[in-house]
Amino acid sequence: MLRTLVDSVKIVTKIGNNVISSTSRVNSSCFPSLNLSCGSSATQSPLCNSASFHTSLPRSKVEGRKEMLASTPTKDEGTEGEKLIVVDSMLKRRDDVFPDEDTPSKLFDGIPFSELPVCNIRASPNNTILSISNSKGEVKMLRSCGMEGFKNTRKGTNIAAQATAISLSSLAVSQGYKTVRVKVQGLGPGRMSAIKGLQMGGLNIISITDNTRVSWNPPRPRKQKTL
Amino acid sequence: MTSRHAAFIARTVFVKDNNIEDACKLLNRILGREGILDQYRRTRFYEKPFQLRRRINYEKCKAIYNEDMDRKIRFIMRKNRTDPYPGY
Repeated sequence: MLRTLVDSVKIVTKIGNNVISSTSRVNSSCFPSLNLSCGSSATQSPLCNSASFHTSLPRSKVEGRKEMLASTPTKDEGTEGEKLIVVDSMLKRRDDVFPDEDTPSKLFDGIPFSELPVCNIRASPNNTILSISNSKGEVKMLRSCGMEGFKNTRKGTNIAAQATAISLSSLAVSQGYKTVRVKVQGLGPGRMSAIKGLQMGGLNIISITDNTRVSWNPPRPRKQKTL
Repeated sequence: MTSRHAAFIARTVFVKDNNIEDACKLLNRILGREGILDQYRRTRFYEKPFQLRRRINYEKCKAIYNEDMDRKIRFIMRKNRTDPYPGY
């Protein structure tokens, strides 16, 4: 049994040797510069062993970090669907999904669109603040994840945002608000789940507006974080 | 907190049949396509001039590569034959 094993290993090494010599020949004809390294490995050992390849330490360290970063889950910014490409569905629904010149006077539950109360959501990486204001911008009620009892890092989670939104929207319903338009600002985990929570709490959402402040020539931002 | 774009006209999506997820996805997709979210993320921290240069050069190279690759794919996929299933 052992002998047969040894024999088979020998055959494998032979095959390996042949393969390597043939590849080295090919290399010598095509890429003369590669000849040296490949040829030497073939003469030293029948199979290519990893010890003949030189890798420097810092490089492997960098790769380790890259692997680590690749394995970590992506941060939830509430921007699901950002990279999605579905052309057909966009074309199909184009007619009534976007506002036009008649939208401000369009009636929703007997109230024109421009007179509807607004729910402002400010989603930042560390917190989510929701407020309901009338059409002139006077804030009627305000809730944030911190006020809801979530503290420190737990404030900046989608669960906290959803719980806050549900409590705010049930409060709003009890005060007689039915339909709102939603204005979202900033990127954070609470961006999408807050809107979902508003609906779960009983409010009827007419439209979603993005109000993130973006400038193409901003004042100089703060310096980058060192990793 | 006023913004330069017309509020509730620009960057606005109506919710159809209480389907919030679709509306959000559509809005996010448009913002992502237009590069608004990218610009927002980029301007959270100062981008040093060398980083700006490297990013712009990388984007130029990528655009050239993509254009070429697109042309190649179209060349390979081109066909000049009668439709085998007329009427479908």
